[in-house]
Amino acid sequence: MLVLDNVHTYYGRIHALKGVSLSVERGEIVALIGGNGAGKTTTLLTISGLLRPKQGSITFEGQALTQHAPHQIVRLGVVHCPEGRQIFGRLSVLENLRLAAMHRRDGQAVRRDLERVYALFPVLAQRRNQAAGTLSGGEQQMLAIGRAIMSQPRLLLLDEPSLGLAPLIVESIFKVIATLRDEGVTILLVEQNAYQALQVADRAYVLETGRVILQGPARALAEDPAVKAAYLGG
Amino acid sequence: MFTPTYLAQQLINALNLGSLYALVAIGLTMVYGILRLINFAHGDMMTLGAYLALAGISALVLPAWAALVLPMLVIALVGVLIERLAYRPLRGAPEVAMLITSLAVSSLIQNGATMLLTAQPRPLRVPSALTQRIAFGDLSIAVMDLGIIALAAVLMVALGVFVKRTTIGIAMRACSENLRAAQLMGVDVNRVIVVAFAISAGLAGAAGVLWSSKFGLVDPFMGFVPGLKAFVAAVIGGIGSIPGAMLGGYLLGFAEVFFVAFAPPELSGYRDAFVFALLLIVLLVRPAGLLGRGEVNRA
Repeated sequence: MLVLDNVHTYYGRIHALKGVSLSVERGEIVALIGGNGAGKTTTLLTISGLLRPKQGSITFEGQALTQHAPHQIVRLGVVHCPEGRQIFGRLSVLENLRLAAMHRRDGQAVRRDLERVYALFPVLAQRRNQAAGTLSGGEQQMLAIGRAIMSQPRLLLLDEPSLGLAPLIVESIFKVIATLRDEGVTILLVEQNAYQALQVADRAYVLETGRVILQGPARALAEDPAVKAAYLGG
Repeated sequence: MFTPTYLAQQLINALNLGSLYALVAIGLTMVYGILRLINFAHGDMMTLGAYLALAGISALVLPAWAALVLPMLVIALVGVLIERLAYRPLRGAPEVAMLITSLAVSSLIQNGATMLLTAQPRPLRVPSALTQRIAFGDLSIAVMDLGIIALAAVLMVALGVFVKRTTIGIAMRACSENLRAAQLMGVDVNRVIVVAFAISAGLAGAAGVLWSSKFGLVDPFMGFVPGLKAFVAAVIGGIGSIPGAMLGGYLLGFAEVFFVAFAPPELSGYRDAFVFALLLIVLLVRPAGLLGRGEVNRA
């Protein structure tokens, strides 16, 4: 479904991705794990078009994503739920959700998706007219995921959905991730919380300083001594 | 001297001037909110609007409403064109590049108008129905003054509804909060920017028509000082905030008019100094402006 082949991305003169190749098949959850600065977020930003690779190709269902603007990539079904949530704090909860569906022309389906988001996260329904900036961290993460659902993803890029959240909320966020997969959404998940990520994922890639150093089934990686030592606290 | 009639008269003057500043300030703040561009060519949209109104009234003998609406539409288009030709190619470059370019656009318009139309101020004669005065007891108010106040209010309410209710309005607010995140939500940023420039320039064009109708003259540099004052108004209100720009515009109008009305006559020449001193004080107390919320995280 998604294939990255030898992708090189730079921030100015900093060589952030040094030839990343990976693939995601339809229906999978693929985790991208690694330490700070390994290039996980950079990989997602390059897929969603906010960063442009200097070299290499990114194809989604046969289309070269590097030829498309970020908003067109969303329209193709690749939706990026960014790190740090980045909800629009001065917009209401409902406005945040409406905005993410703005490019869709299927009013019926948009209303159904809105109901679906409210069913997944009832607290968002209660607070629909409240400014999103007044939500708690966990509620903001729910809104960020809800917003991504409103964009009708076929491939969802999830960046650090558990960052800074209480364990109980992390638990429920990961439940939603599994639910989304069951509903047919393919997910590329970036996590520092490698333990959680490997629990939910089918396959995983380990990034280090801009390169893929390990890959394989999530279960196997979770047992790998090197991965255990580096990312799972021994 | 400070009779109720005199005060009421000053109130009308202040509302008039404030309406015009607010109309211009809104456009500055909208564009700044999205692109972080201080558009120095914004005041010149007033100038162009005024010239179009002049041409419309004196050459084409248009009715008054058409001499307002047509320049508004044409200037909106001019704003879109300038964005396309001058600012879009610089998207992603350091913010100062666009700012310098806007100075160049401003200079191009001012000097182009001087070359083609001479620097000689030209009189703009509005239909006499507009200069008639209506008496309210001792107070008499020109129809045009009431018209300016009402029209500005209508335009601002319409803009408020547009920004609050329509999807493109929501997108506009989202873009001014976090441009990158808006792109990730599928917002076509170019479309939002085009709409922002169209509204921004259209409102400034309308303000130019009203300004030149009120003061009776059109010249190539007429937009410069109001443009600067509108910038002050936008900063006082909190740049990036549309309600802030409206508030700042009216505040500035009131400050100027009442300074001249109440200060000793020998000080009235210091009107602009007073305005800028006011700006300094506001910024000392509230660095983000009255309704500003500080710089948002754009990472």
